Amino acid sequence: MRSRSKFAVFLVVLLVAVLILAATLGSERLSFFDLSDQQRSILFDIRLPRVFLAACVGASLAASGAGLQALLRNPLAEPYLLGVSNGAALGTMLSFVLFENLEFARPLMAFAGAVAATIVVYQMAKSRAGMTVERLVLSGVIVTTFLSSIIVLFTSLLDAAKLRSFTFWLLGDLSQATRNGVYLCFGAAVIGTVILASQARALNLMMIGERDALDFGVEVGRVRLLVFGAGALLVGASVAASGSVGYVGLVVPHIVRLASGSDNRSVIPFSALAGASFVVLADLIARVAIAPRELPVGAITALIGAPLFIYLLRRS
Amino acid sequence: MTDHKGKQIALAVFLTASLVTALGCSKTTNLAAPNTNYRSVQDDLGREVRLPQKVQRAISLAPNITEMVFAVGAGDRLVGDTTYCNYPEAAKSIQKVGDTLTPNMETIVALKPDIVLVSTASQLETFTHTLEQNSIAVYISNPHSIDEVFKSMRELGEIFGTRDQVESSISKLRERVQRVSRDRRPSDRPPKVFLQISEEPLFTIGRDSFLTEIIKNAGGESVTKDVPGGYPKLSKETALVLNPDVIILSDSSDNRAPGDAFKSSPAVKNGRILRVNADVLSRPGPRSVDALEQVSAFLRPRETNKTVSVPE
Repeated sequence: MRSRSKFAVFLVVLLVAVLILAATLGSERLSFFDLSDQQRSILFDIRLPRVFLAACVGASLAASGAGLQALLRNPLAEPYLLGVSNGAALGTMLSFVLFENLEFARPLMAFAGAVAATIVVYQMAKSRAGMTVERLVLSGVIVTTFLSSIIVLFTSLLDAAKLRSFTFWLLGDLSQATRNGVYLCFGAAVIGTVILASQARALNLMMIGERDALDFGVEVGRVRLLVFGAGALLVGASVAASGSVGYVGLVVPHIVRLASGSDNRSVIPFSALAGASFVVLADLIARVAIAPRELPVGAITALIGAPLFIYLLRRS
Repeated sequence: MTDHKGKQIALAVFLTASLVTALGCSKTTNLAAPNTNYRSVQDDLGREVRLPQKVQRAISLAPNITEMVFAVGAGDRLVGDTTYCNYPEAAKSIQKVGDTLTPNMETIVALKPDIVLVSTASQLETFTHTLEQNSIAVYISNPHSIDEVFKSMRELGEIFGTRDQVESSISKLRERVQRVSRDRRPSDRPPKVFLQISEEPLFTIGRDSFLTEIIKNAGGESVTKDVPGGYPKLSKETALVLNPDVIILSDSSDNRAPGDAFKSSPAVKNGRILRVNADVLSRPGPRSVDALEQVSAFLRPRETNKTVSVPE
């Protein structure tokens, strides 16, 4: 227990340090003790919204990954694998096409897409014999690939000018951070993570086995609904704000479990904290590595995530 | 059972035989082609391209090449072009063979062209291989400045045998370019120009774009002229400190207004925004001279008119 609270302190300190670092660095150098109007605008209108958005997106994706992995008792479970991300991506894309100028339509459509994909996967996975984890993961894979092909179809049919913003957005792009986007994503991150954390004890019991959980009085159906709902909320808000930032939901919860055990009461909040640091750091690299040009943040999360994951897996 | 197996073997033998015949045929047609009916030209990658003496049927896989082919008076010999090819008007009614990056090979071969004109070297190897097996020449034309456009037009004139028309249309274009440089006033501090290709994400022109040079020749200076690459995605923080005097918008559906990062720049404060048709701006071809004239007219100091929209 003591080592766990030490780890919690470490994660909070890490996040604060990473946030400060990300606020200090950028393609333009700021003299913090004597900010000109222009520099103030860079800091408050451009850099800080983006840094906070990165933190919210990272926390959302990592927390939803942790929740889904616990629920499905499958280490590969991830918003991407289950079709949730692609549902949100297709929703966002439709809102681009249908309501080009309505800013608030994007997160709503993304959430709707995430929920729709979740429901379809869930219904597909249900059978007369009840739902097995294998069926669920298989349904997720099928829905994911189906939605991907619809997205590809859309990008082929759209005119060239729109295509460019879409392809960039599909790779994960945090440069379109607005204050409203940050508020929305922050709200979704807090609500979603709190819902997931509130189900942590039930998830712990379900990890032993759903029969056993039922014996302990866990309402398995209700837990499923809440975890899927919170997952759709978290993923919908992140995708609407930043496109598809990959690897976070898969890698971060695993690293957290390797470091602090698999009790979901700590895995879920710790994943949110670690995920926030991870994406802020990745986006910092995306912003400054080839400044004044920018890299897509999704490429960086994958580049850092995979080797780090392999290293930790080998060491443990 | 044995009968079934026998059929399979027969089928395999048949297939192999027809394949060998097919390969043999394509090889013999290539080798047996009489040399007198062919000539050799060099394309922009330095490849030797073997062409029939008289090119009657051509396909263009890029909108700027289509415009150049029409400008050299060979538009009537285009039997295929891309869905992007919308200028001049006659280019629209030519048979479409797909777009620049994903042309339909079957349509191209079915049109029996003597030559396919290509602007990009991407996927060229397999592409060229397939076409050359069908005795179709592939010629790469990839101009990166107005001078190179003239050079490309001259080469196209060689290919199509329309030398006279090429020289007259080049000399007209050259005259317009010279008028622009005559009208340009020498200035210690040329106006700083930002060219915005799209607002979200913020794309602009870099060091390697031909538009950087066009802005310079029009009497301005691209504020992103030192950024590496042709069409980089730019940091908004950097965009905010560029303070351009003029913003040129490549007029397209995702690029209606200058990005938020420019809201306190002199360009936005003084309403010095120029919208240029995206096709005119982005295609290195004869209409690049139009782009040069529009930018130069807008940059000239005595001009006090504000936002100018030039539709075509």
